[in-house]
Amino acid sequence: MESRHGDFACLLQRWQAQTGMTLPLFATRGESTAPAPPTSSSSPHAPLLEVHGTTVIALKFKGGVLNVGDRRATAANAVMYDRADKIIPLDDYTLIAIAGAYGRAMEVVRYLRHAFKYYARSQLQPMSLEGKLQEVSRVLAANLPNALSGIGLFIPILSAYDPDQDSGRIFFYDASGARFETPDYGAAGSGAERIRGVFDYIAKTKGAFGERSLEEVLREAILLLDIAADLDAATGGIDKVLPTARYVNREGVFEVPEATLRELVQSLRGG
Amino acid sequence: MLTPYDFQENLQQRAQYIRNRLQAGSPVIGISYDNGIMLLTTRRRGRKVFEIYDRLMLSAIGNQADVETLRVAAIDFAHQEGFVRSPDDVTVQRVVGFALSPALKKAFGDPLTTPFVVRALFAELHDAPERDLFYILNYDGEFNPAERFAVIAGTTGAEDLATRYLRDALPNTPTLEKALSLALVAWGIAREAALQEDRDTIPESQARERLRDELQEAQLEVGLLERQTLRENRFRLIPPEQLQGYLRHL
Repeated sequence: MESRHGDFACLLQRWQAQTGMTLPLFATRGESTAPAPPTSSSSPHAPLLEVHGTTVIALKFKGGVLNVGDRRATAANAVMYDRADKIIPLDDYTLIAIAGAYGRAMEVVRYLRHAFKYYARSQLQPMSLEGKLQEVSRVLAANLPNALSGIGLFIPILSAYDPDQDSGRIFFYDASGARFETPDYGAAGSGAERIRGVFDYIAKTKGAFGERSLEEVLREAILLLDIAADLDAATGGIDKVLPTARYVNREGVFEVPEATLRELVQSLRGG
Repeated sequence: MLTPYDFQENLQQRAQYIRNRLQAGSPVIGISYDNGIMLLTTRRRGRKVFEIYDRLMLSAIGNQADVETLRVAAIDFAHQEGFVRSPDDVTVQRVVGFALSPALKKAFGDPLTTPFVVRALFAELHDAPERDLFYILNYDGEFNPAERFAVIAGTTGAEDLATRYLRDALPNTPTLEKALSLALVAWGIAREAALQEDRDTIPESQARERLRDELQEAQLEVGLLERQTLRENRFRLIPPEQLQGYLRHL
């Protein structure tokens, strides 16, 4: 009965068994009260009531990883929310950036935050990076039936500081939980596809992001987001609401202050 | 000779057995300071000060396995509640009052189970020092809230002496440095009084001497929950090299 190995999912399953209730996290479409998945003959707009987050970017810099995201969340072609925060710290060494179904993603983020802390507190040692990556794979794989039914599909990018290598690392996932490590940068969301080539261009002309300073990389990231907003209607851009920017390095997870971002946006616009 | 089962005698014997075993425990001193809340104790083997949840920590004296059972039960309850409801709903009065206390009481009163040999001190961080909370949980399920500071030690007499010392010496909102230096003396008083019963006062010099003796074999352990921090986790243990600095004035 007791979950002495620090597995948070196990603890929640026990809670479900005791209370007879099902948490949204563990509900599959079959047992949830949500309407049946749309068939091909039904309106193609049926699943689009779901709110989606758009563009997130992860760039390495010397000693860590920077994450930048716009603030827009959309449902079909309506802008639902322009203060969405899609870059969230999971613990003192890990950041997650979310693109796709916002509601489901936030639930999973809440789960992961608890899972990492539950492990560290109960086992008296932090969960290893490999363990954390595996945990993300596990929740994505569990979410696959929902994603296939057309609701709750999201793609995370995980950025971590790796003390063994004294550097940042970036991992991205597909909807089935497959994990890929990317050497220098990563992006997800509707705007990300359009700017893929720009990353390459910057890295090839100015040098790898991982070799450059945080200040330089932050400027590139904001510029990339601005380009994504120009090419993708669902991406909020940098003018109306300032984007979110967080980074992780040896010291922990930090937020780039608003004043710094405002100055940067102004200098990009002035130039 | 076969004696009939006497409920009261049975409870007294159990209480006596537990008290005897608690007497040698290393006291725990909790003090709320300007930028956080701290628990101080010494350890010879494993960890003694534990993070329970975002704003809750625990240290205890007693049987290691019993402390571990209590710790895991508290962590399980806190994380379950924090996820299913919200982190704001995880409070020390819920964790101690509803999740732990009834189980301790049940084990203590049940003649067929071994009672918990444990006395625990919980510390809960709030936005201002005057709102911080301590909870002392006893082996029989009884619990008492306290503010500003709290002490658990091997005997109630020892707790009283250390409490009296802190009540007189502790300024309203101490800094961490001040809280630590007073906690070290309070630890010495509580330890000395628990080992030598029937003492009305323990001079500070003797308390320091007792602590110096203890640190020949044991290590100091101080856990903090920080009010203002850039870190994601408010809990941290003060690293040993930093503690050495505080011990220089001992």
